[in-house]
Amino acid sequence: MEFSEHIRTANVENVVLRQPFHPSTKGTLCITGHHLIFSDRESQSCRQVLLLLRNIDAIEKSVENLLGNSGLLCSARWKERAPGPSSGTLTIKCKDLCVFQLDIPGMEQCLNIAHSIEALSSMDEVADMYPFFHRPHDASLQDQWGLSSPQHQYHQMEALQRGRWRLSSVNGDHTVCPSYPPTVLVPRAISDKALLKAARFRQAGRFPVLCYHHRKNGKVIMRSSQPLTGANRKRCQEDELLLQAVIDGSDKGYIIDTRSSQQAQQARMTAGGGFESKSSYPGWTRLHRQMEKGKALQESLIKVVEACGDQTNNMDRWLSKLENSKWLYHVQTALSTAGLLAECVERDGHSVLVHGSEGTDCTLLISTLAQLIMDPACRTLEGFLTLLEREWVQGGHPFQQRCARSAHSHARLQQEAPVFLLLLDCAWQLWYQFPLALGFSENLLLRLATEAYASDYGTFLCNSDRERCAIGVKEKTHCLFQALLKPEERGLYSNPLYESTELAIWPSVHPQSLQLWRGFFLRWSQQGRHLEEAHDEMRNMICQWGRLAVR
Amino acid sequence: MEFAELIKTPRVDGVVLHRPFMPTVEGTLCLTGHHLILSSRQDNTEELWLLHSNIDSIEKRFLGSLGTIIVKCKDLRMIQLDIPGMEECLNIGSSIEALSTLDSVSLMYPYFYRPMFEVIEDGWKSFLPEDAFKDLEAMTDEWRLSEVNRDFRVCTTYPPLVAVPRDVDDDTLRKAAGFRHGGRFPVLSYYHKKNGMVMMRSGQPLTGTNGRRCKEDERLINATLRPGKRGYVIDTRTISVAQQAKARGGGFETEANYPQWRRIHKAIERSNVLQDSLVKLVEACNDQSHSMDRWLSKLEASNWQTHVKEILTTACLAAQCIDREGASVLVHGTEGTDSTLQVTSLAQIILDPACRTIQGFQGLVEREWLQAGHPFGQRCSMSAYSNSKPRHEAPGFLLFLDCVWQVLRQFPCSFQFTEQLLVLLFEHAYASQFGTFLGNSAAERVRLSLPEKTVSLWSWVNRPQEIDHLSNPLYEPNSLVIWPSVAPQSLLLWEGVFLRWNRSPRCQEEAREETVHIIEHNKELQNKVNSLRRQLAQLETQEPPLQTP
Repeated sequence: MEFSEHIRTANVENVVLRQPFHPSTKGTLCITGHHLIFSDRESQSCRQVLLLLRNIDAIEKSVENLLGNSGLLCSARWKERAPGPSSGTLTIKCKDLCVFQLDIPGMEQCLNIAHSIEALSSMDEVADMYPFFHRPHDASLQDQWGLSSPQHQYHQMEALQRGRWRLSSVNGDHTVCPSYPPTVLVPRAISDKALLKAARFRQAGRFPVLCYHHRKNGKVIMRSSQPLTGANRKRCQEDELLLQAVIDGSDKGYIIDTRSSQQAQQARMTAGGGFESKSSYPGWTRLHRQMEKGKALQESLIKVVEACGDQTNNMDRWLSKLENSKWLYHVQTALSTAGLLAECVERDGHSVLVHGSEGTDCTLLISTLAQLIMDPACRTLEGFLTLLEREWVQGGHPFQQRCARSAHSHARLQQEAPVFLLLLDCAWQLWYQFPLALGFSENLLLRLATEAYASDYGTFLCNSDRERCAIGVKEKTHCLFQALLKPEERGLYSNPLYESTELAIWPSVHPQSLQLWRGFFLRWSQQGRHLEEAHDEMRNMICQWGRLAVR
Repeated sequence: MEFAELIKTPRVDGVVLHRPFMPTVEGTLCLTGHHLILSSRQDNTEELWLLHSNIDSIEKRFLGSLGTIIVKCKDLRMIQLDIPGMEECLNIGSSIEALSTLDSVSLMYPYFYRPMFEVIEDGWKSFLPEDAFKDLEAMTDEWRLSEVNRDFRVCTTYPPLVAVPRDVDDDTLRKAAGFRHGGRFPVLSYYHKKNGMVMMRSGQPLTGTNGRRCKEDERLINATLRPGKRGYVIDTRTISVAQQAKARGGGFETEANYPQWRRIHKAIERSNVLQDSLVKLVEACNDQSHSMDRWLSKLEASNWQTHVKEILTTACLAAQCIDREGASVLVHGTEGTDSTLQVTSLAQIILDPACRTIQGFQGLVEREWLQAGHPFGQRCSMSAYSNSKPRHEAPGFLLFLDCVWQVLRQFPCSFQFTEQLLVLLFEHAYASQFGTFLGNSAAERVRLSLPEKTVSLWSWVNRPQEIDHLSNPLYEPNSLVIWPSVAPQSLLLWEGVFLRWNRSPRCQEEAREETVHIIEHNKELQNKVNSLRRQLAQLETQEPPLQTP
């Protein structure tokens, strides 16, 4: 088996682990194909640390002698065993932003361990990843995978709007659009043949499909990728008819383009992309809202994490670093664009098509947020997870590319971008502004932020539905969303204060109203701890209440 | 009566009132000697009763014959009144200006206010120094209450009774007082039960340029040290500011004259700088430009968070010296009535669990701010919107409340009260129907006969329904010292005060109510379980063995 080739030293004794909020402890370090395991044999508690190697973002080696820095290291016994400079320290920086240190006796062992971690944590082969080996005792591979399906959504909608929409299997074998699921919802009036043509006119075949139906007024949100009009203003009649069918011919519709009109022009002139022109799509009004993506977002994340780790204790420096990172600016833009989308549907009563260029990042971000704002059904624990599954997993967000690296990595950026993390941050802003309206807790958002980057489950593997089908993710791994809904987990991820409201929750996007998501960014620093205690306290109370009520 | 002269137009009909997050109301505007009242005459809930003393400044605008007055309050709220008729508007405007800037304390509303509630316990007698001393006596006999300042002659800003080392007589105190700024000789501020260490506070020593010394002062503070132990002097000024003070007759404790004391200088800013910072911060918070960068740079430029951090850091230092180093501490700046009190009172929040209860916190404010001579009258006469040039104004007390809020936020289960109590104290320090925050010192309060002629804020706060309202549902008494994080990343802007009027309070209130509801329900259920268990136990003992063969 190829894992073993990378493991030169599997076991090291007398390793010292230094972790935030824990006294440093000495124990045995063990590297397996997927995990770093530290077990502390000295104390009675027998603490074990089990870390997915996939969770490791960066590793720093320092072979300087750190004796004297740590109280534990000063014992005479220790000095005998690891004399002088032949020891090293590994600083492990995780994708969930936790940072800890391992002092490893013996220079060679230290370098071996570092090498193994580096090799194993950056393995690209999906089929070798841990979800394919994770077999929890309380779940079976035959359990249902996933929470919903387009069929289910269709049946819910069909009851309300008989005859306007249909399920199409045109993408049954993923050949029309690799990043769409096999079945999608489209206007009934459009045949599969027309869809095929429309798909050829959209980047990566992402033709406009239905993503949300607003019960109150029957209006919808569609999403797609950019039309491939190109420099010579190509048109596609089928695509035009498809959109016409969405607004029933008479009504008006909005297109929210997540690029500035300049960027859209540029895409048309140079990259074969483009936008829907007024003349070809007479019923539709285009609104441009520039949202950053890709590299700019990743750099912003790196900067904000760096600012949070700043130890200089200087208020001005902290505030200007926070400002320079632009992270809160991205949060503001995402929320206000989502607010615009929701306003078009809920207040103005018009259907909307959303796209940027690929339609797999910002498009999903704002369509998801708009649904959270408008639809009470998305705000329960199940509803939110179903929404994420529909819009992000089935909707074709390339998780593997986007979440390959996080904020600590020194590797050159490729396709990484924290779009999903930005979504979780925006969801947290909503949760913070409307503490009663959401059925899930901050814990859920934190858990998802960790799982998207490194997971025991198969949910966030691969970049598209096609890739997932090809390697049998649904057959060979367990589903995270199902696991989160297990009765024993539920308490942790539910909001005890939840009271459902039928109203739309309009977030304030004033800069003064938006907060740094401290629970995530400062999770491993001093102040987060006491807040956790308060939440624990409330959770205990609710649990107790539940038990008492049952008796 | 002189108020009538100032009121040119006592009432105007058809005035429209705009308030943040409330529907507009049209009604009749009335001016009385102390209030601005707007009544819709339809149902009483929509009425506005605003104390003139709460008005920081007003702005007048005209559009044709419709005048608009924007009223900016000291609690940072802004309301708008649309008044038909140019003359009425001008009259109302100038009356408000005159009535809101009355200088004479005895014309203030607290002298006219009669409580609409039953006073169960007179707040003026709730926190007497002699009662506080009884608690101290139970712990140690090393201290005594001195009446040296009985007639306020030794120190005009101290209360009549102060706690000093038992072995130091009143004559020594008088001489030490002559050597300290404002006569503020070192007195006891806090006794740490765990290890018997103490915190004292005073004004700066008047060493001057020629290095004057005072044996009595040295004896006084050395009397607080255990044999062979050293103490710390925490000077809230930087060393250079302290050096400069010498030229004006002030100074600091030199190593030569105070060999048993180690001096530490910190940098807490003084009044005008703080006032300036408040004005900038509030301006930033009201910025409507919707730009994230602009907001963050304005927040940074206001420097408010830096002040919060400096004060908390210094308080932590004082607490650390006492609790961790086991040393006694003397805190002072220049006068010893501002930054000194911030540090001594916050250190007690950190060290002493009793200060984290509702009553204990009131006691702390009474002891360390009101009795200790913080000049509330001068400091809180104007807030962030005032156009007049600041004289003695400074938001020192507000900064203290902000720091307490930071600690409370970091330790949400360790305080018996909620943020509401802090907001309430902020409001009442700047404008109130109660006499508690009037005047600048204990001496002034006696001269103004405040306890006889006005009602104490504490009388109102300490009624069961108000206590209920201010109680923290998550409170679990925590007897430990609580060390707050002072990393800039851990300190937040206090939204409850600074963004209070920019954001609808509804959601937060609902969440609080829901929490309270859950906790109450939990208690009820627990009681029920207990009584059922008792019943069961009773039945088990009573039940005769009825088994039939």
